[in-house]
Amino acid sequence: MSQSMHGEYKMPGGKLVVVDLDVRDGRLAKVQLSGDFFLEPDSALHAINSTLEGQSEHADEAELATALREVLTGEVMMYGISIEAVAVTVRRALNGKPEA
Amino acid sequence: MTRSAWRDHDWQLIHDRPQSPSLHMALDDVLTHEVGAGHRQPTLRIWEWAAPAVVIGRFQSLRNEVDMTAARRLGIEVVRRISGGGAMFIEPGNTITYSIYAPLSMIKGLSFQEAYAHLDAWVLEALDELGIKAWYQPLNDITSAGGKIAGAAQVHRGGAVLHHVTMAYDIDAARMLEVLRIGREKLSDKGTVSAAKRVDPLRSQTGLSRETVIDSMIATFRRLNGLTGSELLADELARATELAAGKFSSDAWLADVP
Repeated sequence: MSQSMHGEYKMPGGKLVVVDLDVRDGRLAKVQLSGDFFLEPDSALHAINSTLEGQSEHADEAELATALREVLTGEVMMYGISIEAVAVTVRRALNGKPEA
Repeated sequence: MTRSAWRDHDWQLIHDRPQSPSLHMALDDVLTHEVGAGHRQPTLRIWEWAAPAVVIGRFQSLRNEVDMTAARRLGIEVVRRISGGGAMFIEPGNTITYSIYAPLSMIKGLSFQEAYAHLDAWVLEALDELGIKAWYQPLNDITSAGGKIAGAAQVHRGGAVLHHVTMAYDIDAARMLEVLRIGREKLSDKGTVSAAKRVDPLRSQTGLSRETVIDSMIATFRRLNGLTGSELLADELARATELAAGKFSSDAWLADVP
């Protein structure tokens, strides 16, 4: 069983952060982060998506942020987005109603 | 190394004939690389558009941002740029778009917020000379009392920073809303539900032609920073043309964030 979920979060003082994902057997799958934020290098987007992939659907914001912090090193530059904002957006997707 | 000043550089102006949206994307890629590698002097490029376009940011979801069926029906080319930020709706004659290709030394030690304001300080002065009181609205907007005038985006490549800006000269808001999907969450802290109302274009504010506004901006840049007329080099154009037909026209790049 899997269902498509969508979460949006306008980070205060930042940009729009969007996450689309599926939940499969209690785990996050097909995670896609998007939005009008600034992120460098380019590859950081893929790093975030693949880190979120496989996380428990019950992981809270702190657990998601910890997982992201482990892979996003000091050379990743974020403007208008933050690790915490991504975690909030994932929770919003998980807490929302599945998309029709 | 200390931060370099505008006047430390020999600024070049490129203001070429109208070009396709995908070629504009490719020229930004190539020229940023050339300045970063030290092959080209720091450059200001004024864009002329050959066709209507939607330009989405590097990390935006294509399907969340654009109604592709409407874009096809209206003959609007949809392209993805190399910098982050939001979607822009372009019709030739309705926007003033420019790119600054600057060495990283110019923004050394500055926060992102400061770097955006720094590279557009000359534009605020140019607008002031046109009678528009405008200011920088973090993170990346130029705004006046009447609303948003422009949006900027930066990306760092090698030894250079690309800073490009689209200013609204005029706007067909109804058409824009046909192709862009503007979400409610995005507008939640803007205090208005109408995307069109957020923009205050230069035409209504100045009563001047687009060409006159551009000429005035170029004159301000030249007076403040120095500026020499320049052309695209044959090899720069050749590489950009190849990238425009390849990467920047490919579904793989456009739908990289589906």
